[in-house]
Amino acid sequence: MKVNPIYWQETRVSSRSFRLPLIIFLCNTILALAALLNMYSMVTQAKATAEIQYSSFLNLYVLVACIEFVMILVIVPALTSGSISGERERQTLNLLLTTRMTPADIVIGKLMASLSTMILLIVSSFPVLALVFIYGGVTVKDIVLLLIAFVSTAVLSGSVGICCSSVFKKSTIATVVSYCVMVALVLGTMALGKASGASGSSFLAWPLLMNPAVPFSAAMEEQLGNVWRITVLESWAGSSFRRFTAGDWLWISLMAQLLFAVFCLHTAIRQVNPRRKRRWRY
Amino acid sequence: MLKVEGLKKMYGRMAALDGLCMHVREGALYGFVGPNGAGKTTTIKILTGLLLPDEGTVTVDGMDAMKEPGKVMEKIGYVPDFFGVYDNLKVWEYMELFSACGGLYGLKARRRSGDLLEQVGLGEKAQYYVDGLSRGMKQRLCLARALIHNPPILVMDEPTSGLDPGTRYEFKEILKELREQGKTVVISSHILSELAEVCTDIGIVEQGKMVVEGSIDDILDQINVRSPLLITVCRNKEQALNLLRSHPYVETITIRQNDIMVGFTGEQEDEAMLLKQLIDAGVMVGGFVRERGNLESVFLQIINHEEGMVLISES
Repeated sequence: MKVNPIYWQETRVSSRSFRLPLIIFLCNTILALAALLNMYSMVTQAKATAEIQYSSFLNLYVLVACIEFVMILVIVPALTSGSISGERERQTLNLLLTTRMTPADIVIGKLMASLSTMILLIVSSFPVLALVFIYGGVTVKDIVLLLIAFVSTAVLSGSVGICCSSVFKKSTIATVVSYCVMVALVLGTMALGKASGASGSSFLAWPLLMNPAVPFSAAMEEQLGNVWRITVLESWAGSSFRRFTAGDWLWISLMAQLLFAVFCLHTAIRQVNPRRKRRWRY
Repeated sequence: MLKVEGLKKMYGRMAALDGLCMHVREGALYGFVGPNGAGKTTTIKILTGLLLPDEGTVTVDGMDAMKEPGKVMEKIGYVPDFFGVYDNLKVWEYMELFSACGGLYGLKARRRSGDLLEQVGLGEKAQYYVDGLSRGMKQRLCLARALIHNPPILVMDEPTSGLDPGTRYEFKEILKELREQGKTVVISSHILSELAEVCTDIGIVEQGKMVVEGSIDDILDQINVRSPLLITVCRNKEQALNLLRSHPYVETITIRQNDIMVGFTGEQEDEAMLLKQLIDAGVMVGGFVRERGNLESVFLQIINHEEGMVLISES
């Protein structure tokens, strides 16, 4: 099978470096500590009161899932925002462009490499998530739904990172801008959603479809029902957010984010293409 | 093999290329010479598909580079003026990466990489990390990388800049070997003495235009008319000097024992006339010849620079 050479090279280099095992170790340590502390507090409470609150186990699941979601939002832009600009800084991008590789091959290879790192991270955290299976309440289907939400978030934030990396010459600027875009997508659209609830204008609520927290929140709600409805997210984002996490909106939101990711990748491919007329440069 | 016609490229208001034409025949080792900012790197970037020209055509082996960039890329190997290496890869991994980028996988790729590493003298370094290589080795690795898809044309932008004389010599030897293999090589460099040794053809570019182009011998013959006359006088030297001082075409006279070097601006017929005048005046002339110019003098004369102003010679 012919593997994308960029993907091959990136995975070989990342598996050789100390960074990947360190990221996996740190992320799983944070998740495991949070989960074990939660379990400890539940067991202590059960010992003291002789009552077991099963909602606490679901809270444990929510906690671990939320931490993982935030980690994806934080780590993926960092992994991808230096991908193209790093090639430019190393002066290897031009060499790749003089081979048979198309700009699309280069961009897709970079995205695949960062996604595979992220998927490795997600899969490695499953044992911590599976702690909740000890007491029941979460099915495999729920985990799959959560995985879909995680992967869609990783694809979206990865595409934003690669897009910024291709537009901006320096990795530092690309990283800062990709974080700004992610903050705008997550918190900015929530603020708009809240404003729409206050003003009664539904127009302001539509950008919420682009918010990666929407499919994640919907996945949580699918699994936990009312437990999730009282979360802080909803109180932040208002009733509009609640609306999009219900029913078919989940899939529409996923599609909207996928389209946005495709737009970001298309922009990245255009930026990498040397045979394109350049209007501006950074 | 490689034909460039009317190439124009503007960077803002500045014209980097202003109707540049270039013709490289098959199997030639073409030296692409010009002062800084003349448009060499821009031309090379257009040839290698890294830049779009505003106007003009590039034809490679009969194919229009603008219409069939993919096919043209397969015909060209590019060695830039920087190394462009991944430090955290081993030498064989670097070669394997670019083999795959060129559509070569598996055993074929490994064989080709091995052969090329042997050819550039890095066969024993295959297991080394690229960042452990010296500058010269990195440059040779870049050359091997550019040849991985076996292109008939090799385009090199200042490949020997920053290398020590020993490595430059090795690089020249590799170039000669490539030429023997039938590759067409376009090489841009400031080190004119080196180009003169290895190149068969030369193109001098200034302000985005090709000023002169052709085989080195043809170009040297063209500018011979400005090279000094070397007159060896066996007897009556004073008489010869008196005659030369009063001659309208004589600009400078330099005396070296029995030889007189004369800056002579006349044509071939005027040279013959001067020789006749010397003999008629009773001067015994032992030798009368135009000194052959070198590439540096050609370069300076053609682009009309003051001596020592631009040229960097590292021979």
